[in-house]
Amino acid sequence: MNFLEISRLAFVTAFYLYCLSFIFYVIAVTGKTWKNRDPKQHERKWGRISFATSSLGLLAHLIYCGTRWAYSGHIPVSNMYEFMTFLSMMIMIAFTVVFLIYRKILLGMFALPVAILVMAYAAVFPQEVQPLIPSLRSIWLYIHVTLAATGESFFAVGFAAGLMYLLRTVDFGSHDKSARRQKRWVEFTLFSIIIVVGFIVSVYSFRAAGYEAVFTQNTTNIDSQVEEDSTIGKEVYNLPPIVAPHNSTMESVQPFLGMDHALFEAPSWMKGVNAGRKFNTVLWSILSGIVIYALLRLILRRPLGQLLAPTVRGIDPDDLDEISYRAIAIGFPIFTLGALVFAMIWAQQAWGRFWGWDPKEVWALITWLYYSAYLHLRLSRGFQGKKASWLAVLGFLVVMFTLVGVNLIIAGLHSYAGTD
Amino acid sequence: MGKARRPVQIIILVFIVILGGYAISSAVFGGGTGKPEPGDKPPAVKLLGLDGKVHTLEEYKGQAVVLNFWATWCTYCVNEMPALQAQWEKWRDQGVVVLGINTGEDEMTVRNFTEQLGIDFPILHDFENDAVRNYGVVPMPTTFFVNKKGRIASIREGELDLETLDDQIKQLVNP
Amino acid sequence: MIKNTKCECGHQNRVGTVLCEACGKPLEDNGDSTELLEMRYDGAARRSQRANPNWIDKVWNFFSSVKVAVYLIIFTLIGAIFGTIFEQESNFVSFDPSTFYKEKYGTIGDLYYKLGLSHTYESWWFVTLLVMIGASLVICSLDRVLPLYKALSKQKIKKHMQFLTRQKVVYQGPVSENGAAWTQRAIAPLKKKGYRVHTDGDALLAEKQRFSRWGPYVIHIGLIVFLLAVLFRGLPGLHLDKHYWFPEGEITKIPDTNLYLKNEKFTVEYYTEEEMSKEFRETGKVVPKLFETKAVLYKCTANCDDPSKEPVLTEVKRHAIRVNDPLNYQGFKAYQFDFDLTPKLRSVKPVLVDVKTGKQYGKFQLDMTDPQLKYELGPYTLELKNKFMDFSLNEKGQPVSISNNPNAPAFLFLVKGPDLPQEGVQYIYFPKVIDKERFQQDAINEKLGGLQNKLALDVLGMEDVDFIESSSYLNIRVDRAMPFVWLGLGIVMIGLVMGFYWHHRRIWLRIDDGVLTLGAHTSKNWFGLRREVAAFLKTMDVDVDEKDLENGGNRS
Repeated sequence: MNFLEISRLAFVTAFYLYCLSFIFYVIAVTGKTWKNRDPKQHERKWGRISFATSSLGLLAHLIYCGTRWAYSGHIPVSNMYEFMTFLSMMIMIAFTVVFLIYRKILLGMFALPVAILVMAYAAVFPQEVQPLIPSLRSIWLYIHVTLAATGESFFAVGFAAGLMYLLRTVDFGSHDKSARRQKRWVEFTLFSIIIVVGFIVSVYSFRAAGYEAVFTQNTTNIDSQVEEDSTIGKEVYNLPPIVAPHNSTMESVQPFLGMDHALFEAPSWMKGVNAGRKFNTVLWSILSGIVIYALLRLILRRPLGQLLAPTVRGIDPDDLDEISYRAIAIGFPIFTLGALVFAMIWAQQAWGRFWGWDPKEVWALITWLYYSAYLHLRLSRGFQGKKASWLAVLGFLVVMFTLVGVNLIIAGLHSYAGTD
Repeated sequence: MGKARRPVQIIILVFIVILGGYAISSAVFGGGTGKPEPGDKPPAVKLLGLDGKVHTLEEYKGQAVVLNFWATWCTYCVNEMPALQAQWEKWRDQGVVVLGINTGEDEMTVRNFTEQLGIDFPILHDFENDAVRNYGVVPMPTTFFVNKKGRIASIREGELDLETLDDQIKQLVNP
Repeated sequence: MIKNTKCECGHQNRVGTVLCEACGKPLEDNGDSTELLEMRYDGAARRSQRANPNWIDKVWNFFSSVKVAVYLIIFTLIGAIFGTIFEQESNFVSFDPSTFYKEKYGTIGDLYYKLGLSHTYESWWFVTLLVMIGASLVICSLDRVLPLYKALSKQKIKKHMQFLTRQKVVYQGPVSENGAAWTQRAIAPLKKKGYRVHTDGDALLAEKQRFSRWGPYVIHIGLIVFLLAVLFRGLPGLHLDKHYWFPEGEITKIPDTNLYLKNEKFTVEYYTEEEMSKEFRETGKVVPKLFETKAVLYKCTANCDDPSKEPVLTEVKRHAIRVNDPLNYQGFKAYQFDFDLTPKLRSVKPVLVDVKTGKQYGKFQLDMTDPQLKYELGPYTLELKNKFMDFSLNEKGQPVSISNNPNAPAFLFLVKGPDLPQEGVQYIYFPKVIDKERFQQDAINEKLGGLQNKLALDVLGMEDVDFIESSSYLNIRVDRAMPFVWLGLGIVMIGLVMGFYWHHRRIWLRIDDGVLTLGAHTSKNWFGLRREVAAFLKTMDVDVDEKDLENGGNRS
């Protein structure tokens, strides 16, 4: 067994341990109200079990990271798969740190799903160990990426605590206008998370089925010599085509539920690399998200927010507000150092300019501006509590767009080799 | 308290206005291409002539200058050479200089070429393409018409025929 | 209307003061409120708050408001998003933006260009936003840091009762012993926790890590330094940013400097199969491992400005330029940017061959640029009459060169020697074999004087052909303001660490008639403060649960 095989095994182990410990956290939180039990003792016992499980998972995760590092000779953050896996590991570390400070078992119930989702998302990307291209061969790859991911993972914990605060404070029984609006947005937030689940589920199920559809696309590239050059490229879809690439012809499509051709073609302005396929994936994620959400609603017969709200009933909202704020306050300097300062130093060394308004750079700046606005707003009392929690929730969306959206939608210098 | 505050406030606000004004104006106007435009002074050149001497634009102060960027491998440049030569002969007594700037070819090539076509207006070598860069020349030929006040009157890209040249030079001499 | 700002303790406060500067009594309400106190800037008035503002004050007040600052941040954030929708003009070099966006993205792209969003970050409104943020940084900080400094450096130990009971962490309870004695006893455990303790009879003030309060202002100073450095970066002479080609083996002048750079050797290295993982090998991709230009930098020491003379060069620096490892000579930097592996002919070394006897005369070097004009080879003399770098025939059938690149070089010689006419015979020579056939060297020479039957120029082997193997494209940069950029960022980081990883904590207590009233405040991490206060009270034999210290008060 070589290092790579160990690291694969460790990855899977970590993933299942996280899932298991999530279940344990749920039992620890919800089981308090079960019959014939002393809530305090139950919480202590199951809290210990679940924290031990999640720590074991983190250990496996660290083993994954170490062995893959040893195998490839460079820190495993060089492509989307490695980076997202690393991010989920950092989220677990951030969670562990915050947990050790505040000892709130409930936090596990919300932080673990975030880590699990990020990890599952990582596994969608190609997993082979890639050699580093010259521009990535720098000590700053290690420092910049790890610190940026650390900062972002604290933002993720802030997000989890913020969401819990909202579930705790939004009055799900009330029917006045403001409560209704808040309920809707909480539901929407949960729905967005389910879209990510939908994405992962659809990619995995069609991958397991070996689905493939091929299009040939006529693209006109204008290269640096200002010569127009038409290339005929092949686009391979691993999801049934709802939307075909712009200006393409169908080559082969495996029928899926009787669907043997694309329903429509991508608009002409979607001309980026693999734009058609990406758009198709987005559509699939939303569709399967809607299906999963509808199923859940059918089974549970009430909004998800209402379902989750009782689990957080026993906790003091001020604590949640503070955890959220604290996590962001811990993460902010780390993020500044990793994602901006060290990024600038590296950019200066590699490209000769510390700042080039590259989309990824701009989005890191946007994230930074966003959280600095958050920190300024918290100065005034009106922005503590509910409003701050909304900001923390929205902030993580900005972070995720910076990490994922920019790579998928806007290509720049940072475009890691990624698919879908 | 508060008496010393007003001057401090004013000084800081003035600084902000100056620095901010500088920042905004350099963003709005400073983004120019750096290419000379009509009305600008032509960028200085210091080049070796075919006559073996170093020439600068200073030598032609007070004269109208027709600055032509060319190369022997550029068909349009070659085509317009006789017209340039004709205009040089026509206007040289009225304070008009035609200056050919050859872009990056060696002396033999240039000499053979000029002798073959009977060209005798001054030719300068731009071996390192310095002038090409400073003048922002992209297509060849490009011709800069500099008036007697030492300002660029017009810039023409592409081949010029006898009449256009004549018109342009007339405008230089009698604005 | 001028409000009465005199506190009941006799202290005359400035307009805008929230909490009496001396005793901490809340000034703005009538004393029946139980709301938590607003502790920002310790309740001191900001500098700009005054009774009758004139227009300067109004401008000042505008920029000193945190609300305005937050709006500025949000506008900048939204503005920055616009710039990421499509690529920016500054991120590509060679397209004409007026048509590029329309062709690539259609009408939306055209609109994007016309709105000026294709250069968002250089647009007047974006720069104005940045300038306003800069102004806000300066004025906000000045407006707050001095009053805060004053408020913190002259704190009264005994605070008003309301000041204590309306803190977020409050404890009230009886103590059995004498007030002053209890207070004295409290000093040691507080000191042990790192507090600086001040007492005044039966009142006490314990404080620690006050410096963390300066964190935000240090961050702001750092940001101002950073912004100024970025602003002055653009000043002429401080900044150079150009890209040039450096053919291998040649010394190339770097325009606008007195430096010359020689590209001694350019290397591209690819990962070998052994260095790749098994799966990656199967994808069949080739990944570059290294781009390296072995460069020598020369400085011109004499004849630099005289094109008629050869410049005198002195070597000043030698460096293997790689991605992530630029050449650096006193702030002048050269970065690996791109390369071109198309070989270019530099020179050939042909021999003159007597076609009939096979006898060879001499071997001479024929350079593509600036070749020697006369060659003596045995009994023969070759005078170079003309050369064509990219040989072609124009519509009149005359030989011309269609570019300056040695794609199809041709040399026209005048050959003199035994058995040749006095005035010599013209002879054309194509060094590349393929051109010899393509342009029919023999047929041309037949017309020129038939020398091809008598003499021939021939390259004997590949060792006599010299190529410029490749060219390296380097990014030449000078950026004199960089140290200040790093300084600014360094200050920002110091401020961040100060402000976010340390927390200013204060505990006030007073004992009135056997009743202890304790109030505590921190800028961040109430959880930790409560725990600390509870632990402190425990050492003082007051048993209280952490959670009970939380002041109910109001919750907004």
